[in-house]
Amino acid sequence: MKKLIFILLIMFVTSFDVMAGDMPEVKVGEVDPNGEVVTVKAFGLVCDFCANAIEKVFMRKDEVSGIDVSLDKHQILIALKEGQQLDDTEITELVTDSGYNVKEIIRSSSGVGE
Amino acid sequence: MIFRIFLLLVISATIQVDARPVSYPGGWTFSTFNDGDRYSVFTHYSPTAFYSIGYHAEYWRAQDYQIHAFHVNNLIKRWNAEASQGNFYVKSGVGFVYSDEGDFDNRTELAVYTGIAADWETRKVFVAYENRITDAGNIADNFRQKVKFGFAPYVAEYGNWHTWLMMEIMHAPESDDKLVATPLVRLFKGANLYEAGISDQGDALINFVHRF
Repeated sequence: MKKLIFILLIMFVTSFDVMAGDMPEVKVGEVDPNGEVVTVKAFGLVCDFCANAIEKVFMRKDEVSGIDVSLDKHQILIALKEGQQLDDTEITELVTDSGYNVKEIIRSSSGVGE
Repeated sequence: MIFRIFLLLVISATIQVDARPVSYPGGWTFSTFNDGDRYSVFTHYSPTAFYSIGYHAEYWRAQDYQIHAFHVNNLIKRWNAEASQGNFYVKSGVGFVYSDEGDFDNRTELAVYTGIAADWETRKVFVAYENRITDAGNIADNFRQKVKFGFAPYVAEYGNWHTWLMMEIMHAPESDDKLVATPLVRLFKGANLYEAGISDQGDALINFVHRF
């Protein structure tokens, strides 16, 4: 019985960790657990000024709850508020207007609250 | 005179730079620059990511004159790749030059300058070239160009401290020291960039850029 409880406890803790691991993290703002998360692979992100520019431009949008720019991954992670949308055209426009280029846009839910 | 003292105090208190002369749409940049020849301060606003407008002031110590100008930076072309970025800019200003040195007793004249700048960088390597021709009546008339190159000894993610080891070589044909080499260290984090070095003439170079 003790062994069973121990195994169940391990399973519970592990499943909790997996759920937490699925939750993306952002440097600015927060991830809405019921919102969409958009990953943008971009060209030209080579320094902190580039990342800072992307943050500022996207965080002005009412639809955005959080953002994370990774120079290592050449990517922008955009967390949207629940029920909000930014279509590919608008995202591409925002990135281009900031001085950079979009390579690819990948869409997924935050994986939380579903 | 009071204005001049005020200007010098402001400039000296914050000492400057000149990296990324155009910001994001709606972004402001404040920069100061100090080298063997001059102090300068430059504040600009970028309506788009492709040009910026601002106020540029500089004080040339040896010749004892100052230039105040309305300044425009134009990003003519940017080359974005997955791991690199290249830029070509035209930078120009129009304003006035003031001097009371020698024969120039409280003289003010029209000042214009223009130049090009190009850079290419990855997260490990940086190369840049820049020139400027200045025509400020009888008070100042010169041409300067410089190259700057360097490398990052380590690669850091956004938000961490980035360190660059660089060399700047200035060519000023009209100066006594036609070539001045300045090894420097660049520190970069978030919206702030700092540079410090000592030239082969023993002059300090201290630069600062802040984006907001």
